[in-house]
Amino acid sequence: MQEVVLALLAKEPSHGYQLRGRLQEALGPLGDAMNAGQIYVTLTRLEKAGLVTAERVAGQADRPDRKVYALTPDGQQRVADWLAEVSWPKPAPVEFHLKLFAAATARLADPVGIVDAQRRALLLALRDAQRAALAEPDGSEAGLLLEGVVLRLQADLRWLEECERYWTSRKG
Amino acid sequence: MGRVLLVYRLAARDLRRHAAQSVLLLLVITATSATLTLGLAMHTVTTSPWNRTFAATDGPDIVAQSFPPPPRPDGSVPQSATQKTNILNAMAALTHTPGVTESSGPFPTASPVLRVHGTTAPVMAEGRDPARAGIDTPELTAGTWVRPGGVVLQRSLADALGAGPGDRVTLGGRPFLVDGVAVTAAQGELWVPGLVWVTRAAAVSLATRAHPLSYVLNLRLADPASAPAFADTHSRAIGTGALGLTPWQQVQSSDTRVATVVQIVLLMGSWLLGLLALASVAVLVGGRMADQTRRVGLLKAVGGTPGLAAGVLLAEHLALALVAAALGLAVGWLAAPLLTGPGNALLGTASSPSLTVSTVLLVAAVAVAVAGIATLVPAIRAARASTIRALNNPARPPRRRGTLIAISTRLPVPLLLGLRLAARRPRRAILTAATLVISVATVTAALITRYSFEVQNQQQGGTGSLPGLLNRPLQGQVNQVVLVLGMIMVALAAINAIFITQATVLDARRPSALARALGATPRQVSAGLSTAQLLPALVAGLAGLPVGMVLVKLAVGLGGGNASGVTTPPVWWLIAVVAGTLVAVAGLTAIPARLGARLPAATVLAAE
Amino acid sequence: MENTAVLRARALSRKYGQDAALVRAVDEVDLDVTPGESVAIVGPSGCGKSTLLHLLGGLERPTGGELWLAGQRIDQMGESALARLRRHAVGFVFQAFHLVDELTAAENVELPALLAGASPRAARRRAAELLEQIGLADRARHLPSALSGGQRQRVAIARALVGEPLVVLADEPTGNLDSGATIEVLRLFDGLREAGQTLVTVTHDSRIAATADRLISMRDGAFVDETRLTGGSTGSLGALAGLEG
Repeated sequence: MQEVVLALLAKEPSHGYQLRGRLQEALGPLGDAMNAGQIYVTLTRLEKAGLVTAERVAGQADRPDRKVYALTPDGQQRVADWLAEVSWPKPAPVEFHLKLFAAATARLADPVGIVDAQRRALLLALRDAQRAALAEPDGSEAGLLLEGVVLRLQADLRWLEECERYWTSRKG
Repeated sequence: MGRVLLVYRLAARDLRRHAAQSVLLLLVITATSATLTLGLAMHTVTTSPWNRTFAATDGPDIVAQSFPPPPRPDGSVPQSATQKTNILNAMAALTHTPGVTESSGPFPTASPVLRVHGTTAPVMAEGRDPARAGIDTPELTAGTWVRPGGVVLQRSLADALGAGPGDRVTLGGRPFLVDGVAVTAAQGELWVPGLVWVTRAAAVSLATRAHPLSYVLNLRLADPASAPAFADTHSRAIGTGALGLTPWQQVQSSDTRVATVVQIVLLMGSWLLGLLALASVAVLVGGRMADQTRRVGLLKAVGGTPGLAAGVLLAEHLALALVAAALGLAVGWLAAPLLTGPGNALLGTASSPSLTVSTVLLVAAVAVAVAGIATLVPAIRAARASTIRALNNPARPPRRRGTLIAISTRLPVPLLLGLRLAARRPRRAILTAATLVISVATVTAALITRYSFEVQNQQQGGTGSLPGLLNRPLQGQVNQVVLVLGMIMVALAAINAIFITQATVLDARRPSALARALGATPRQVSAGLSTAQLLPALVAGLAGLPVGMVLVKLAVGLGGGNASGVTTPPVWWLIAVVAGTLVAVAGLTAIPARLGARLPAATVLAAE
Repeated sequence: MENTAVLRARALSRKYGQDAALVRAVDEVDLDVTPGESVAIVGPSGCGKSTLLHLLGGLERPTGGELWLAGQRIDQMGESALARLRRHAVGFVFQAFHLVDELTAAENVELPALLAGASPRAARRRAAELLEQIGLADRARHLPSALSGGQRQRVAIARALVGEPLVVLADEPTGNLDSGATIEVLRLFDGLREAGQTLVTVTHDSRIAATADRLISMRDGAFVDETRLTGGSTGSLGALAGLEG
């Protein structure tokens, strides 16, 4: 989240609510649930870390939402580094995989049942994401993001099918 | 109403989409119908000319002819006045025999040699009166009746010699002028010696010591049907000579046989064409079976009954058949006068044959039968197959033939490919062979006929002899008809070969692409595709030769002729036929085969 | 129950071969589909889901069990009677589209209507309506060869709808489509669901499966699992964004 806010400030200094607006534009429905206060908490942290400066607008109270934020040179450097990074969220679903193993070895629960429950959850998520994606106009940024969600959920569901097959044969 | 529109729409679009094949089907069935129409039309004509002539000329039921005694060693024939009296008395007695109602003659006849335009021919010169009346009044087709110094020729003789009114001829060395040409029912058109009419005085003067004067008497019987019995009873020896009686039935059958030969050839031709058409249609329909099966499955899947689905398939082909039948009838009717028109000496001046209702129905029935039989089995099979199989796996998978595969591994690559390709669709290979057998057989028959005629002519004394000349128009006709039939069949077989290759190429796309991907060169593959056609062609070529011989003997037998007159042409002619067939098939199939062999293998394999 | 179910199968089976080579493509399947329901059947390839769908639509004859469609027992029906029933009870959508190549889009759509005996004018009118609904009115006179894969499948769906069928059976409808075309079809299916059309889809595309009310998993010819996807999402989409910290 921190780097995201920094990147949003790269173009020009902005108010907090302006940042929030831009975020929502880019995220679409996925940004709806974003907590209003989160942006400000992040901005405060960044200020403390010396990556942004906050300027009070003349004649306004000393409230976070009335300040104008701008990048410091350190902040700019951080953004440049971040843009050049090629890291990616870890593709290995380690947590879920271990969950199944734990359940099986400790005989705490039926792994197939866990897989099925997860599948259902993902299917519902896929359904929602798909609906949202269809509702977006062509060429919207949020649409692109939602397409990404759909595709990754599809991939995850495919793996879950494999999990089901594996654990069912292990059972029998 | 909607269903009718649907059937029409589907049928019409499908025909248009495969326009070339539809046209070929049309051609094949039209050719069959036309030939059949001609054959049937001939039927109404065959007995008419002679009957017509008989009625028009007051034809005789009996022709009584006197024959002189056998010649002495020095070539002369004994003539005695008593002989002549005996003959005339016998003839007078004949006219008074019970059962005889009328008579004309006796007419004096001589046997001079006719010479015209450098050709000589032995003829019988009958002496007649200028006034024409009584039994056997020859009907003039050109010029005028006999005048002193003139001669009238029988029409078939005139045609054979190329003579007409106004020509100068010599009879027995003496100059005569051709006054006219006439037909008679008393003598057969092809009989030798030919018949001419002169004045009584001229006939008498034309008698020689070697060929003394004879007499001819024409009789009308109360019961014409009894003429053969009458002739048998009253033919007898007179002194050292004889009196021979010829009944009208003999003349009729002789003349009729002429036209019958052509009709037989036409009818046999139409049978063969029918078989060829059946095989062609079966191959063409079979080649599109995968497509059609899929469509049948689709129609069933969206709510069509199996009957309707099969009905669309049948409707297409039956509609084509009916159109082809109509075209064939038209072509046959227009072409019939060429065979039977006034210009045709042999077959009479009968009016243009009419299309009877039964002819039309029969031709239509045959056309529909050909299309129907070939389409019925695939249509039923498609309709009864499980809908989903029809949709997804429309083509019948080829059956594995282990022995063939094993044999082919020892052969060079093109033969290997060719044999396996042919074995994938045995029905198609057999049908291809069948069409080629029929074509080769017809071509062989044409060659055999021509050759036999030549031999026959030579045996009968060369081109200058009268029998040869008289036969020439008939031979020409038969040769012409057989040649045309042969050409039609060859043309159809050729077009068939191209289409069959096309279908094979399409069918074999995948295996041949596979072969190329595994290392066969495009040339090997295209050679293999050609070989797949050449193998049936070779079998057909060899089988067609004996079949052709059988056809000719059959035709001769049906015509009442002598099968021993059929001679086999020299062997190298026959080898040329087989070789020609193979070369033609190879040439025709080369182009689609080469094109098919050059499709990028990757495209084909990826498309699966 | 019997009166309300559009499709009812009891112990439905389809076997091929015998003895050692016996294949149980569909093995004693029970299924009820109520009007307006949208069912997705998923499973690995070869599990028999397509065969099941063909049995449900009367395109293939079962070797065992009973099957009711629109209240009529169809497992023993003759081909002609089945065809007539199919005209108004079932609309089929195939993976390979299976349009008639030589008919235009409009003519393809009106095909089942004409088969059912409708007048040409009525059939054409209904086809135009449907093409309008699916947004292909301007392509009505195009041949299938001039249409993209997605457009062809949409025409095929319109064809399936022309007889106002009680149930639409779709066999891998997006199997031959790229992602863009898949979205077009997804939209259509969503619309159908909303309009209350009963839908049974066989698919291994989880996107299509996610649109259904009921999800049935099949393996080796039998049903192994069933999930109801109606009611509730996982909460807001934002939870998917993971934007904490």
